[in-house]
Amino acid sequence: MRPIISFITDFASYALKGGSKFRIWMLFLGFLTLLMFFGAYEQFTKGMIVTNYNDQVSWGLYEAQFVFLVGVAAAAVTVVFPSYIYHHQDLKKIVVLGEMLAVSAVFMVIIFIMFHMGRPDRLWHILPGIGIFNWPNSVLTWDVLVLNGYLGLNAVCGFYYLYKKYTHQEVNKLFYMPLVYISIVWAASIHTVTAFLINTMPSRPMWFHSMMPIKFISTAFAAGPSMIIIAFLVIRKNTKLEITDNAINFMSQIVTWCLGIAIFLSMSEVVTELYPSTEHSASLHYLMFGKHGLFGLVPWYWVSVLMMLGGFTILLIPKLRKEYSLFLPIACVLTFFGIWIDKGMGLVVPAFIPTPIGEFSEYTPSIYEIINSLGGWAMGLALFTLLVKGATGVLLGEVKYKGKLASAGWEPIIHSKEETYRG
Amino acid sequence: MSSDEKKKPEDNKEVKETSRREFFKDAGGGMLTTAAIAGAATLLTDSEDAQAKATWSEWFQKNYRLMTDEEKKDAIERLEKRYSEEYGKSVSVDGTPAMEGVLFGYALNIQKCIGCRRCVYACVKENNQSRNNPEIQWIRVIKMEKGNFSTENMKNGYPDPNGIQVGGNAYQNAGVTLEGEHYYQPEEVPEKGYFYFPMQCMQCEKPPCVKVCPVRTTYREPDGVVVIDYNWCIGCRMCVSACPYWARRFNWGEPNLPAEEMNPVTHYLGNRPRMKGVAEKCTFCLQRTRQGRYTACVEVCPVGARKFGNLLDPESEVRKILEKKRVFRLKADLNTYPKFFYFID
Amino acid sequence: MDRKKFSRLLYIPVLAGLLFSAQAYAENAPAPAEQEPTECFESREGYTTVQKTEIKPGLPNVKCSKRTGGVLWWGDPYDGTQEMGPMPVEADYTHEPAVVKPRTSQLKYYAPCTTCHNGSMVPYPKDKKPRPLAMHQDIVPDAMDLQHGRGAIWCLDCHNAKNRNTLISHQGDEIDFNQPQKLCGKCHGEVYSDWRDGIHGKRIGSWKKGGQKRWWVCTECHNPHMVQTKRFQPLKPEPAPQFPRTRKNADHEKHGHGASHDTGHAEQAAAHK
Repeated sequence: MRPIISFITDFASYALKGGSKFRIWMLFLGFLTLLMFFGAYEQFTKGMIVTNYNDQVSWGLYEAQFVFLVGVAAAAVTVVFPSYIYHHQDLKKIVVLGEMLAVSAVFMVIIFIMFHMGRPDRLWHILPGIGIFNWPNSVLTWDVLVLNGYLGLNAVCGFYYLYKKYTHQEVNKLFYMPLVYISIVWAASIHTVTAFLINTMPSRPMWFHSMMPIKFISTAFAAGPSMIIIAFLVIRKNTKLEITDNAINFMSQIVTWCLGIAIFLSMSEVVTELYPSTEHSASLHYLMFGKHGLFGLVPWYWVSVLMMLGGFTILLIPKLRKEYSLFLPIACVLTFFGIWIDKGMGLVVPAFIPTPIGEFSEYTPSIYEIINSLGGWAMGLALFTLLVKGATGVLLGEVKYKGKLASAGWEPIIHSKEETYRG
Repeated sequence: MSSDEKKKPEDNKEVKETSRREFFKDAGGGMLTTAAIAGAATLLTDSEDAQAKATWSEWFQKNYRLMTDEEKKDAIERLEKRYSEEYGKSVSVDGTPAMEGVLFGYALNIQKCIGCRRCVYACVKENNQSRNNPEIQWIRVIKMEKGNFSTENMKNGYPDPNGIQVGGNAYQNAGVTLEGEHYYQPEEVPEKGYFYFPMQCMQCEKPPCVKVCPVRTTYREPDGVVVIDYNWCIGCRMCVSACPYWARRFNWGEPNLPAEEMNPVTHYLGNRPRMKGVAEKCTFCLQRTRQGRYTACVEVCPVGARKFGNLLDPESEVRKILEKKRVFRLKADLNTYPKFFYFID
Repeated sequence: MDRKKFSRLLYIPVLAGLLFSAQAYAENAPAPAEQEPTECFESREGYTTVQKTEIKPGLPNVKCSKRTGGVLWWGDPYDGTQEMGPMPVEADYTHEPAVVKPRTSQLKYYAPCTTCHNGSMVPYPKDKKPRPLAMHQDIVPDAMDLQHGRGAIWCLDCHNAKNRNTLISHQGDEIDFNQPQKLCGKCHGEVYSDWRDGIHGKRIGSWKKGGQKRWWVCTECHNPHMVQTKRFQPLKPEPAPQFPRTRKNADHEKHGHGASHDTGHAEQAAAHK
């Protein structure tokens, strides 16, 4: 028990201590989080009337973040997969950073689900056992299962690995490896299920196509690793942790491939929808060109297209892709925000315009939605920063167990604790 | 009513809210965890009124379908008491189950409809919808163009780059739902050159909204009506997205239902007052139809375009319409099998 | 970290909140309440009027539209009705209680009619040949050009010449003003058949088989004297729904109509010219 407590305290104290840059960053995030507490209070007491949601457009900014962040969470697999399947040695050393990203992203997803819900106080209704869980009928219940499972898997894998590092023990491969393989498959499942969540509704023709899961995964595996690369570059610059060019190059290749596939899929969608131009393509038409004199999303769409194409062009050129101080970060930022628009507001909102009975109604987020979304991101990024910082300390050996372990090697008692944690 | 009067209680509330807000900042400032969100969520149940106890019992109650008769009785009594106090009149909440051998069906004569929207407001008066901010209406009437084809338009077409001749008359949107007007407001209806198309919940036999509901708060009753247990709904709005007929409405805020306009004859699964954050929709006026009465929209229609009855009774109005007239179901391609039929003479 | 500074930051969201709330109040200021009219019309203005009263304390006989004065809701669907009376053809009304609202109380000149048309004060006409009317021009402005039947019929094909309190069938049988369906059914057989089945026209009350229904009779919706020019009395519509919060108008709805149809094709079409 003692090593676990000291692991938690050592990890936390290392994560919370930092230089001025770190403090400013955390203060900034803290400020946004405080704003969100205000926004959350307003929304949870007055109802969703403080948002600009309406019966015409009943999903908006929150769901956009939700969909996007599920992708970011799934993208942790782009670090895990090459590490354990291809045995990419450089990535294997820092694989735990990917898992920390997954944990933080799912955490943000949970925040946005709380904002999404009209009655968060009744959350217990969906808990199996005490509530009613409409499984397997409702895709949303599948999503609840896979997201929580994924959070558990990554938390267990990540912290188990860190704990073993902390106590200078070997990982028990019989316990650890199956979890890693499961989490790889699981990562694909979370995004697939999230895609199924929205593409199984023929009432929304813009979503109703079987390409949705693969497009989700390809965009996720472009946006997620972009964020990971930026995190790697920041960590490399600010800590002693060795993240090799090789590791970064591997990640940027993944971004290149997946972004290319995503662009191809978007193009296929545009051609398939706009060539026959049926009533079902009205939403896409509205998104791309505007319709009936409403053009709200048009600039966003084209900015997103330009960002993705720009990012892709940079990534295609090896010389620029390997230029770590300027071009690679630019490409990553372009990719990340391009997909954030495309898969967030660009995917969620136009599906509601027009409504299934043909009413065109535009939507712009309210100030509460914006502060709540910013705050949700800030809380997630703060968690990510702390987790990555602590993990870096462990990986560097700066956070290590100073006491004496009861027995060398694998400890059955600790193991059972981990199992409890997993449950 | 002056706006000053209206403001006063709100001002007090603001003071209270501010102090609470301060509390939250102190509590939440240091910890960047979900605890604060969870805390804010509990505020929802922390009501200040005298009925806090009833609210708590309501919060802990089961899904209506799973309640025992005893629990149903308790829940209904609790509601009757609360509503009666809230609206200052004797409010009844009915729990009548579906009748044996009855499957409700509806037929609407689109040839007859003149777009006067009286059904919309009859429905609002009967079913206790929020009157304002947000305004909730379960029926939407769409004005559609009959179209006007002309020889002049022949010239406005263009040859496609691939040589396909596209006629100018192609842009006539006669009968295209996507081109309908929802906010028409002429001096008189019907207007020349238009027809009208009312839509509401179709009470599908295979309802997509029921399938997607994660907590089974919405379900199909034995008489075919798709209902919602408002006290069990978590407000995820999957049903709102999944409905191909845009039939569901959401209580974005606390509903505004003036006490004097409140209809005190209610049903648990029907028109009882709703709370914020839950979905609602047409229930074929459950509180009336299970007592044998026509729905409010059928009764009000000044042209008799709306027809209602038991689909299992060959002598009922709807069955006679199915027998005698040409009918169609909306968006039949989605296999939702609505029990709401459109017909023409 | 400086705690004071930190707490000062907290004022920003609080102030922002006050600002938003103030704005919200300004937007939600209620419109002056209109009064519900006390005299309402049932189907169409001028056809059947009802006085608003209370059946029981708290239960009004009707609820009416503040905007148009039309009845929106009946507290008691059978209020002010009487039995439909015998009907020659078997239909639902033969198996279940059927009531109607008497028409005679709604007729402008029904004093009753024989008060004047008693054969002496106003003599009985000699034949059914059309001739200009001396009275009742407000109902039929030009009797020589009756807007019903396109010249094939005239007043006395429906109105009983010898007993003006009644209408008359093809066989010369008297028909009560409260049972106009018997008269209209003489020619409009198909509609009559639909009406008997409950498909045409309207019934309120109980949907159940065997349950009591109030049947709407022909003249509660149609004016037989002017069907050719004004098939139905047009109505003032009830208000349009409120716009969603993010919208101030619905002007864009009109973009889709008329010659300048706004679709991608139209733009393309313009480009091709």
